[in-house]
Amino acid sequence: MMWDGIIIGGGLAGLVAGIRAQERGKQVLLISEGAGSLTFAAGVLDFGRMEELQAQENHPYALLGEQAVRDAFRYLIGLCPVYHGEWGRPQAVLTPLGMLRQADLVPFRLDASPLAGAREIILMAPEGLKDFFPEVVKTNLQKQFPGAAVRLQRLRVEEFTNWHRVGKPVPATVYAKFWCTRQGALTLQNLLQETALEVRSGLNPVMVIPGLSSAFCPGLAQTLDKAPWPVVEVTSFPPSPAGQGLYETLKEEFRALGGELLIGSGVGRVEIESQAVRRVIVKSRGKETAFAARAFVLATGGLFGRGITVSPTEVREAVFGLPLYVPAEWSGSAFLGEQPYARTGIAVDDRLRPRHPISRELLLTNVHVAGRMLAHWDPWLERCGGGVSLASGFLAGELL
Amino acid sequence: MEDQGKRVKGLDPARAENLDACIKCGACTAQCPVTAVYPLFPGPKSMGPDAERLRLAGVALTPDCLSYCTNCKTCEVTCPSGVRVTEMLLRAREQEKEAKTRLTGRRRNVRDYILGRAEHLGRLGTVWPALTNAVLRRKTTRRLLEKSIGLSARAPLPLYSQKFRHRDKSSPLRELLRGDGIPDPAARIVYFPGCFITYNDAATGQAVVKVLEHNGFEVIVPEFHCCGVPLTTNGHFREAVANAVHNLALLQPYLEEGIPVIASCTSCGLALKDDYPRVAAPGAERVGAQTYDFFEFLWELHNRGDLREDFQAVPVSLAYHAPCHLKAQGIGTPAVRILRLIPGVKVLELDAGCCGLSGSFGFKEEKYNLAQQIGSSLFSRVQTGMEEKKFQGVVTECGGCQIQIAHGSGAETVNPVWLLAEAYGLKGKS
Repeated sequence: MMWDGIIIGGGLAGLVAGIRAQERGKQVLLISEGAGSLTFAAGVLDFGRMEELQAQENHPYALLGEQAVRDAFRYLIGLCPVYHGEWGRPQAVLTPLGMLRQADLVPFRLDASPLAGAREIILMAPEGLKDFFPEVVKTNLQKQFPGAAVRLQRLRVEEFTNWHRVGKPVPATVYAKFWCTRQGALTLQNLLQETALEVRSGLNPVMVIPGLSSAFCPGLAQTLDKAPWPVVEVTSFPPSPAGQGLYETLKEEFRALGGELLIGSGVGRVEIESQAVRRVIVKSRGKETAFAARAFVLATGGLFGRGITVSPTEVREAVFGLPLYVPAEWSGSAFLGEQPYARTGIAVDDRLRPRHPISRELLLTNVHVAGRMLAHWDPWLERCGGGVSLASGFLAGELL
Repeated sequence: MEDQGKRVKGLDPARAENLDACIKCGACTAQCPVTAVYPLFPGPKSMGPDAERLRLAGVALTPDCLSYCTNCKTCEVTCPSGVRVTEMLLRAREQEKEAKTRLTGRRRNVRDYILGRAEHLGRLGTVWPALTNAVLRRKTTRRLLEKSIGLSARAPLPLYSQKFRHRDKSSPLRELLRGDGIPDPAARIVYFPGCFITYNDAATGQAVVKVLEHNGFEVIVPEFHCCGVPLTTNGHFREAVANAVHNLALLQPYLEEGIPVIASCTSCGLALKDDYPRVAAPGAERVGAQTYDFFEFLWELHNRGDLREDFQAVPVSLAYHAPCHLKAQGIGTPAVRILRLIPGVKVLELDAGCCGLSGSFGFKEEKYNLAQQIGSSLFSRVQTGMEEKKFQGVVTECGGCQIQIAHGSGAETVNPVWLLAEAYGLKGKS
């Protein structure tokens, strides 16, 4: 069988490309070496400063154009209506350390704006929550909201007694899964009621709860809706409940549309004939499995997603061995400033097809590159990772 | 000398390379179903690559929680760098056993000895299945089993059926008598039924055979032993290798002729593809490449245009659960592709993680609750889907998953081959 499209890579760009292509009636197989990088993302999406980035020669935004990025923004809200955002109006969210940062698309309740009017902030501190530092968060909240009294409210649930006994921290995803059960939601409801007795509503109280993501859990969302004050959630270090929620939601949508996911075994080699990829060969156990398709999407991530591998002698694109744009200077002196290596990736034409970084010659006619693998951008400095991945993934899905 | 040097420095190249591929991202631990429910289990990263450094340098860590690894291989599927995490854990258990540094309670040793030998139980159980089932259904029996050897009284033990038998039309004797030379290898096929089919679900085995015969294959079923996976997961590594050697000896002549081997159990299939090639016995070099999952094989036929697609419509909506050991094979979900060829069949993939049973893990008194917790997401997705009438039942290839899903969710759960048998009009025919 010939698939209409095969997508290599199961992160944000790959999944969105797959969903879009399935929506268009294409039969799509998505191959991913392991769980996609969304399991490590905070679950909030950045789009960056459109105008500035668009003006940079070769930047993916310059290639895609503002309308495509705006469309992708709206498309994600359509796919996951739990995401809120208005184009060009970033929202504030809390970092895991309780600092405010901006993000463009945010699962509801991660929006930290209610904190602005609060005169009392109740910071819930679930016992043993991994990578959560209540005193640090409290101090940071106090600094940023001097008009509010920040009160730390420790909470303990019986469910995790064994964890506490052996001194093992409970990952946010494990806490989140518990709150998401019927029993968990009930426990939280009781805790909220107990706390309510001590809260004076005249102080515009706001409750901050880390280690859950109600946007991806309808039962929990109902419980929190009933709370007598606004609840603000906190982004989490990896593994993050919201990132996991987005990952699961996109996978479920892709599958519901009839797409097939092959997670766990990567592409070992490929067959190319006259500038077109014919088949990709997966490293299945025992033997190889070949999959043929008319067109392919390369969305394997960058250095951290292992789409690009680096050795002392070579920087290599891992699947097709495509030539990469590699900046002459690798690093900059400011640790959090410009680090040119971040712009390493594949140069493409307006149909996202790979081109030679110097000669600009078209290299493969039926491969579209999406997401972090694209050259000439820096997700950290420019804070546009969500925007580039969504818009290029969406376009790749249109082109399959 | 050189060999010893390697061992001292921990430089066994294959193991060191496997270890170095780990970038410490922790994705495996984040997705591990056991780590999420059992705090005493440090998780695949800590017990795999982290501890492997020390093990390679000769420092044996012997935490007694190693036996809590269910061998589901979710860590290996999750790993973006292809690290064989489960393999490290299993080997550590093996080392631990050899060093005899740890002895768990005697009665649980007895139990693990028994559970590792599903095959021996099967032989006993199928002598008089009705009697065995009647005895096993009694609460007193189950309480006794829990008290005596630690077999959970609540666990969904499979019932026994009449033993799966297949009239082998191509036994060496018949072949001689037939005298028509060597038949076309393309039309012959070896079927590895596995213990669950052989002792607990012979009817499904017959359905597999009928579907293959319907597609023009002569099906050969040698007297295989258990594939060895239950032995491995219960800590009996040497016996598992012995079984592999026995089975390879039976397979070898067919492998040499280029005849494909079909496994309908995803764990047996994984063992044949992934464990057997590493056994030092003739046939090992071929078995990986020549073994197919049953639906993988049908899909190959479909791709070649050789699958009979004279399907009658089967108007039904089903949920599909992908067994962990199918995911580990890295072939996608061929059963779903095949089922979607049948007019009328609607398939929804559940994608809700491991069922928790993991062969015999969930049968053990100290692990039964964990197994139910692990499977809880899957069970609730099944229950919600059934309540909302999104599907009428569940299909999955793995016999263990079938009984666990039925136990945890109450939904009827069968092997997807039954849909094919029905579509071909083979159901009920003998």
